[in-house]
Amino acid sequence: MSYDFDVCVIGSGAGGGPVALTLAEAGYSVVVLEKGPWLQAADFYKDELACCRRSVYTPELSDEQHVIEDLDSAGDWVGEATSESGWDFWNGNCVGGSSNFMSGFFYRLKPEDFRLLSEFGPIAGANISDWPIDYEDLEPWYTRVETEVGISGRCVDHPLAEPRSTADFPYPPTQEHPVSSHISDACRELGLHPLPTPRAILTKSRGIRRSCEYSGYCGSYGCSSGAKGGARAALLDRAVATGRCEIRPHSKVYTLASDAKGKVVTAEYFDAAGQVQNVDAKIFVLACQAIETSRLLLSSTGPKHANGLANRSDQVGKNLLFSAGGSGSGDFDYARMSDAEAQTMKTRGPFVNRGLQDWYFINDKSLGGRIKGGTLDFLLRHPNPISKAMSEKWDDNDRLVWGRPLQRHLKSLFTESQYLRYEIFCDWLPTDNCFVDLDRTVRDKWQTPVAKVRIGYHEHDLKVGHYINKHAIRVLEKMGAQNIRSNISGSPPQNLVAGGCRFGKDPARSVLDPDCRAHDVDNLYVTDGSFMPTGGSVPYTWTIYANAFRVADRIKDSL
Amino acid sequence: MTESGISRREFLGQLTLLGSLAACYPAAILASTRSEAQPSPAWLNQDPWKTIAEVQQHMFPAAKDTPGASDIQATVYLRNTIQNPATDGENQEFVFNGVGWLNELTQDQYQQGFAALDEQQREDVLRKIEQSQAGRNWLSLLLTYLLEALLADPVYGGNPNGIGWKWLQHQPGYPTPPEDKSWYKLATPVHYQRKA
Repeated sequence: MSYDFDVCVIGSGAGGGPVALTLAEAGYSVVVLEKGPWLQAADFYKDELACCRRSVYTPELSDEQHVIEDLDSAGDWVGEATSESGWDFWNGNCVGGSSNFMSGFFYRLKPEDFRLLSEFGPIAGANISDWPIDYEDLEPWYTRVETEVGISGRCVDHPLAEPRSTADFPYPPTQEHPVSSHISDACRELGLHPLPTPRAILTKSRGIRRSCEYSGYCGSYGCSSGAKGGARAALLDRAVATGRCEIRPHSKVYTLASDAKGKVVTAEYFDAAGQVQNVDAKIFVLACQAIETSRLLLSSTGPKHANGLANRSDQVGKNLLFSAGGSGSGDFDYARMSDAEAQTMKTRGPFVNRGLQDWYFINDKSLGGRIKGGTLDFLLRHPNPISKAMSEKWDDNDRLVWGRPLQRHLKSLFTESQYLRYEIFCDWLPTDNCFVDLDRTVRDKWQTPVAKVRIGYHEHDLKVGHYINKHAIRVLEKMGAQNIRSNISGSPPQNLVAGGCRFGKDPARSVLDPDCRAHDVDNLYVTDGSFMPTGGSVPYTWTIYANAFRVADRIKDSL
Repeated sequence: MTESGISRREFLGQLTLLGSLAACYPAAILASTRSEAQPSPAWLNQDPWKTIAEVQQHMFPAAKDTPGASDIQATVYLRNTIQNPATDGENQEFVFNGVGWLNELTQDQYQQGFAALDEQQREDVLRKIEQSQAGRNWLSLLLTYLLEALLADPVYGGNPNGIGWKWLQHQPGYPTPPEDKSWYKLATPVHYQRKA
């Protein structure tokens, strides 16, 4: 039988890019179906309206939405469409996906993250599970991402450093903001071990990708230089250059059709004109980011898959993960500094690049002994001026502020202090109250059911977050920050999402096998963050890239 | 290379940029911008734009060292924004309806349009309409577009020559968008179809 393509990849972000590149380079024909447009580096400017205030990189919520199910004050789960609430769960729908808009702050997981259950034991109400592979199994691909995607950094001797097979990063660290050394000094005085944060950002040019130009506008923005290691710039452009990879933008896959034997035969999609199209392939690889991957599987019923593809054990969409923790900030008033110090603090462009993992594991009696902790990362306030100014629109009594008072507040906010932030990343424990399902009533503009996401969290996550926050505040105090404020909550950060299609050895309790192939569909793989049974306490992207390269090699072996 | 990882030369380069921003602002830039100001287009002297411009002027008044709504071309920005092809028509309708409601109220209360009121009367009437949900939404929307006019890229018609950025010593990112890459030209064809 002949096929249109050897491999059909659905979704073009960090999960899809490595598969497309690996298989195209190996001589196989690949098609990548991407729902959004194909924007290039030449389409990306430092334009706050385009990046962050209009629906350019993500859909209009009135066209495509989610239903978010949260607990109300009476203790009932109540759903609300994001087109009503305005709570946007899209992270980047264009070629390269949300990896276009990351700030490229990259950490590996640690060996213990692969065996959370055996290492720390069960927690009531949480579905903690060990991974079916070890850190050592993934390590070669973590290393491969450093060169394939391009990660800059500097290895330091650190009590919690994860084992690596190479001595150091292939690219030297990005330029660092002067505040970074103040953070390091304060941390060391507190007996802590500040870490330089690795970044998926080139510090030397590579092919058509230029070195970072330090505009100071990185996270949330598409990269104009090509330095940021998003899937489009780092991988897909190279895949297309082989002549064996075709990318079809504006291709919204709504179902994977399967045959009487249960194998996937075609991906059916709407094109830009809303016409139904389809493509067939030997192998299908799903990488639409966790929520949409589960949605598509649940929407893809067939003769052997009455409840959706890969869902024989009713596990698809279960154990969705976000990242727990919170954030805080403190002000550094220029009036308390010399002019030279103030100018130093005003520097815009270089990265702060400081993190702490001293509490990645916590051994404290008050928390009941040794538990899993998390990561603390420092950054400046996001430079977007409109969103910053918008914070002055309302006063404490919920009245609008205008005229001279508004102008005075703006002047003070923008010119009198620098604002240092930190973010805490902890495990979002998997529970029965955090999952993806199909909504029964709300449909998108193509009239297909949207994903309903229940966003319950585990109380344990807050306990860990508060513990780390206490220490984070001490660092800011040590640095002399004023007006320190912080917020630890169970509200999910929609840009840090994984799980929903766990990999594991037991088909009754997982969706994918250890190679991320569906237990019950021979020619279907999932390579975005959906596979993760537990998430670790760092952003997911490096791990998604590494695992997708690992699975791509398995697919190559099977073809 | 120091711990901070930035060379002295690069750092001094940044200092120079910041220094020049601080040194030449505000009075000189503001004065030169005002003297270069284009004659106002005819549409600006007719309602609804006339009233909108007066409301914006009240919400963001000019002073010697502070750019006002006309300095940042808030009305031009608003017009470009709500009349571009990728913007929902509902917003424009709401902005225009609000002008009607406001002038009805001032006619009722002061027997003249908003544009003819003195400063205290303007403040009183705007605070009065803030009491209703629709009035509050209308004012909030105008204020949002005002802040965008102050700080969005000049390609959208506000913030001429970066006047808002300079006033707040804000360092913009580069590259900035050319006209053919403005956000409404990048929005997807699917999006255009729905809006058409």
